[in-house]
Amino acid sequence: MYKPSHRKSDFIERSILSALAFLKDATLSEEYANRRGFLQSLDPRIKTISFLAFLVTSISLKSAVLISALYGLCLILVIFSAIPVGYFLMRTLLFIPLFSLCIVLPTLFSAVTPGEPLWTFHLFGINAIITRQGLGGAVLFVVRIATSVSLVVLLSLTTRHSELLKVLRFLGVPQIFVLTVSMCYRYLYLFATMVENIFTAIKSRVGVVSQQQQGRQIVAWNIANTWNRTTQMSEEVYMAMLSRGYTGEPRLLSEFHAMPRDWAWLFCALIACAGLLYRGHTL
Amino acid sequence: MSDIVFELTEVHYSYPGKFPALCGIDLTVRSGEKIAVIGANGTGKSTLLQLLDGLIFPHKGQVSAFGERLSEWAHTDENAAHRFRKRVGLVFQNADIQLFCPSVKEDIAFGPLQLGFSTKEVERRLLEVSGVLDIRHLLDRVPHQLSIGEKRRVAIASVLAIDPDVYLFDEPTAGLDPSTVRHIIDFIVEANLRGKTIITATHDLHIIGEIADTVYVFGRNKQIVREGAPESVLSDRSFLEANNLVHIHRHHHNSKEHLHQHMPLEPHE
Ligand SMILES: Nc1ncnc2c1ncn2[C@@H]1O[C@H](COP(=O)(O)OP(=O)(O)O)[C@@H](O)[C@H]1O
Ligand SMILES: [Mg+2]
Repeated sequence: MYKPSHRKSDFIERSILSALAFLKDATLSEEYANRRGFLQSLDPRIKTISFLAFLVTSISLKSAVLISALYGLCLILVIFSAIPVGYFLMRTLLFIPLFSLCIVLPTLFSAVTPGEPLWTFHLFGINAIITRQGLGGAVLFVVRIATSVSLVVLLSLTTRHSELLKVLRFLGVPQIFVLTVSMCYRYLYLFATMVENIFTAIKSRVGVVSQQQQGRQIVAWNIANTWNRTTQMSEEVYMAMLSRGYTGEPRLLSEFHAMPRDWAWLFCALIACAGLLYRGHTL
Repeated sequence: MSDIVFELTEVHYSYPGKFPALCGIDLTVRSGEKIAVIGANGTGKSTLLQLLDGLIFPHKGQVSAFGERLSEWAHTDENAAHRFRKRVGLVFQNADIQLFCPSVKEDIAFGPLQLGFSTKEVERRLLEVSGVLDIRHLLDRVPHQLSIGEKRRVAIASVLAIDPDVYLFDEPTAGLDPSTVRHIIDFIVEANLRGKTIITATHDLHIIGEIADTVYVFGRNKQIVREGAPESVLSDRSFLEANNLVHIHRHHHNSKEHLHQHMPLEPHE
């Protein structure tokens, strides 16, 4: 009798399912956007503009200390926006800077960034030298990435996805592009659900998803079927749009109401950015 | 004749590379009529509604709406298309397809905005329609996170916001709980009383007595095999059985098993 290697298939299965769950949660949960907090109360346009200013500042600054100040500001905003700091740190610090660390690790060493030796050690018979310049550059890079990513995540956590799309339109992105993006996003969820369902269906028929011939055939058949269903779905969605009067030029709702406090916030944000940039310049 | 809404003559339609979906349909719909199209799965009901809504066009025969033949203009000529879309609205079988906007509010506003209504008018309709369908509390939600019943009501609202003269419903009650079914039937009956023409595709025989004055039965041959008042069609047991419209249930009663057939006008046990 054939015995599937349980450990491996379990691992793959769990990874797929948790990736799907993460995709759904990360892109579609609007739990925090619906909370009552400072950032949630701001006009989305003004909020986005202020965050763009922060982003530009964090990319322009060449001092890790000053960028850290911006990061501190970001964390304060997290607290005032009713987002659990632990959750926020998990979502930002854990994942993305890990990747950036992999990118900057090589630049630490003298072979990549020549300079004043800071620390020398032997690794597999190779003389490895970490340089001061390399370390400084790496710290700056990681801090910058962490800050930029945190800013983007904070903006997307505190703004409803439909509003972010409206902001895109406000910023001059063509309506047809915004509509396309919003639909991709919209059907991503359906697609993820479909894959989940198919996965469950396969499991219920084959027991475990394994390397068995039968299992593989079902998977292949289902991928083809999913593809068919998605293309058919896009045709039907187009019909649904036509049916309600779409003739190639989408018109969408736009309703924003900026209040004095929104402008006050934007003013403060721009002053903060200008201050940081000035400090960075004179340092 | 000005009160003819739709006129179909010898309509044939096939999907690319497939067997035909409709084989010679003749049908006349007058203004203010309440019609049900019934048939088992795959008999072409959805295809018919899409033809009536000018989304697809027959390969043979013709479909006219309001005295004008439906053809490519429904997609290309913006003015003509808008005039037609303001008069005919289709509630799709799959609400997930129909709701493609990022929020319920935008989905309801989509139709009126495309059709050129002012922002003020769109907002007025949004408020009114969401009141009628009891979905005001859902306006800021994401459509795909709603329950089936909520989705269906939002889908109906998105068509009601256009306020068409003709409503096409594709299986509006499939998979819903009894109270939502009730809500939707009441909506259909009321719209008809206000003079709207209603065409509903369904295989739920329990509701057709209320939502239709005339029933057209689609058969396996993709043609209309019968036409008549709901009572006369529903009372013909062997006919319904032959067309896969009633099923035989196996039940346990007092630990004895027996077979029995559910008739549409009797309550489900
Ligand atoms: N997009 C499509 N592509 C190919 N065939 C289709 C498509 N939609 C429906 N069909 C086929 O056309 C026939 C009629 O389908 P449909 O109008 O959806 O029936 P009903 O709504 O009565 O269930 C069926 O045999 C179905 O398989
Ligand atoms: Mg159908």
